[in-house]
Parts: sequence; structure tokens; C-alpha cells
Amino acid sequence: MSRILKQEFLIERFFDARNKRHYLNGELSVLHCHHYAALYSQLALDAGETKLLSEVAEETFFNVMTEYFKKYQVAKLEDRITIASQYYAAIGLGQLIVKSAGIDSGDVELPVSHLDAGWRRKWGNYDKPVNYITAGFICAMFSAVFDKPTNYYNAIETKSIVMGEKVSFFKINHL
Amino acid sequence: MAIDRKKIIDEMSKVSVESNEEGIIEGFNVMVNQLPAAFWNSFAERLSRKATPEMMEATEFLLVNAAQECGYHTGYGIITSEEWNKIVGPMIEKVPEDILYGAYAVFSAWGWANAEVVELIPNEKMVIRAYNYYESDVVKFGKSHKMSAYMIRGVSAAFMALAYAGPYSSNNANDIVHTFKCDQVKGIECGDEYGEFIVTKA
Repeated sequence: MSRILKQEFLIERFFDARNKRHYLNGELSVLHCHHYAALYSQLALDAGETKLLSEVAEETFFNVMTEYFKKYQVAKLEDRITIASQYYAAIGLGQLIVKSAGIDSGDVELPVSHLDAGWRRKWGNYDKPVNYITAGFICAMFSAVFDKPTNYYNAIETKSIVMGEKVSFFKINHL
Repeated sequence: MAIDRKKIIDEMSKVSVESNEEGIIEGFNVMVNQLPAAFWNSFAERLSRKATPEMMEATEFLLVNAAQECGYHTGYGIITSEEWNKIVGPMIEKVPEDILYGAYAVFSAWGWANAEVVELIPNEKMVIRAYNYYESDVVKFGKSHKMSAYMIRGVSAAFMALAYAGPYSSNNANDIVHTFKCDQVKGIECGDEYGEFIVTKA
């Protein structure tokens, strides 16, 4: 009888003791806090550079996810989505649930969000969405999952924990 | 000096940062994230390169400030943590100077930069040298004209505030976080052998 094994995101951590650098699955990574993420997001909002913040997130996370899928030969759609969601959680960004995903569109829900929770801890609620980092992550995920290039999708935050909603919600569309 | 930097780095580099069942990493008085360094570098570099000469000072101030607030609150979390008390606590003889030396060992252990205090005049001036830091990765070839270690600047000023500006304030009473400022005077990204940072009163 065959068994179906559930995909699980594998984490390999390495500390380069000579150069004092940490690597997570071969990617140079660094610990920061919710203050840093919230302040970068606020800076992007104030400077009118939220698109830049999302783009940078998308490019970064796309590289990480495609490398991982290639290294571990993750080819099935549902496995790729599982791995991406687990990666999101592993790096401390919260809980990301893909409600639907197609080659042209999708919906993603965040019941828990590092960025929103961090923003609220610092400043309380806000009158507009702030999670441009996750928007970039989601675009990266969809591009990686469907073997598309970056800048192929758009993710709009239509509901936001930071605005007082119970969950955050993103609508994804092919550009 | 009683601080054993190598031992602190060996031990603190092994501290585990695992997320809980909600994908959140709580620790050291903050929620922690562990993102690719390329993300932070890319945004800071692209934003600062886009800034007009008139906007550059404000842009760089805000990039440094993000780290200054992070450094203040996370720094407090570090120096009051169980891990600190167990590993660094027994080494501390002179307060707050040994706390600062220990904090920079943790700074190195956590991959922010291989950095140490090279000069310290209590409550007046601190000079930090960073021999390897991810923020210098913005330049892969040649030298930049722009010093780019905004995070090291911010955290350094924050650590000095934690040491000398008075009791920790979770809500930044009297703008305690900005008691000190930090200027970068040398940068690996600018062709220097190491990054050098000078903290003084703001």
C-alpha cells in the first residue's frame, strides 16, 4: 500500500563563525524585530514607495522559493503552496493560508500577521493596509508556484488586521 | 576586562529562534523575524539611491531610525533575557561598560555584524569597528561613495542609550531612544578595510 507523505519545509541553519553570518537554507538571513519591519513599512508609506517595498520582497522571496523547489524537486502545486506557507511561518511572518490559486488569480488569508501585530503593538490600529512585505511575498509565491516570472502578479490587501479586521485578506491577479 | 567575547559568540550564535504554531517568533521583548538580508539591503539601497540630494538626509535618518528603535527595544530584551543572564551575566564586572562589550558580542553572534567596541568614554563617546557586515554587501565590486550601514548606526546609538540614557522606557519617554547619534566614518562598501562608527550625544 502506498503512503502519501505530506510535504514539510526543511530548515537548514548554518552559522559562518569566521564572518559571523547566519544562513537559512543557504540564504544569508538576519534576525530583526517587529519595530524594524513596521518602521520600514511606515517609511515606505510616507515616502510613497510601497511598490518598491513589495517589489523588493517579491524579488527576494521568489529567489528563495524557486531555489528551494529546484533543490528538493517540489513539483506538485499543492506541495509548493504548502512549502511556501510553511516558509512564511518559519521566518516569523505569521500564518498564510491560500484559499484559492489559479494561473490568473487567487485569494490568500492571513489569520496571523507579524507585520500587522507589530504595527498595532507600536501604534495601534491604522486607517489603511500596511502589509506590503506580505503582498510581495504572495506575488513571489504565485510566480514560483506557477513557474512564472516576477512582476507577473499583483496582490492587493482588501482586508487588514491593522484596520481592525479579524484576518487580513489579499486578492491576487495576473497583471 | 572580564567579557569573553569568543565564548559569548559561540554560545549565543546557537540560540534557537523557532516560530510557534501561529508562525510568530516571540523573544527578547519583541516579535522576531528572520528574513533574507538581501531584502533589507535591497530596499535601503534602492530607496537611498532614488532620494534626491534634498531628501537624502531625511531618507537616511529614517533608515537609521528604524534600526535605532529596533536596537533599543530588542537590545533591552537581549540584556534582560535568560540566555544573557546565563552566558554573559557571570562575566559582568563593570556596569554598564561590560554590558556594552557583551552586547556587541551578541551583535556579532546574531549575524548583524562582526563588530566590537574599540573606544569608550562613558556617556560621551563610543567607537565601533565592524570587520564584516551584511550591509556592505550592497557593493560587490569597486567602491561606493555612499556609506550604507544604516542598521549598525542605529543599533549602536540605541545600545549607548540603553547603557547611559537612564532606565529603559517601553514607550520612548522623553525620546530616550535618540539620546545619542551615530555617524559612519569608514565603510567596507566604500573601500575601507572595516566599517567605523562613532557614537556621540545627539
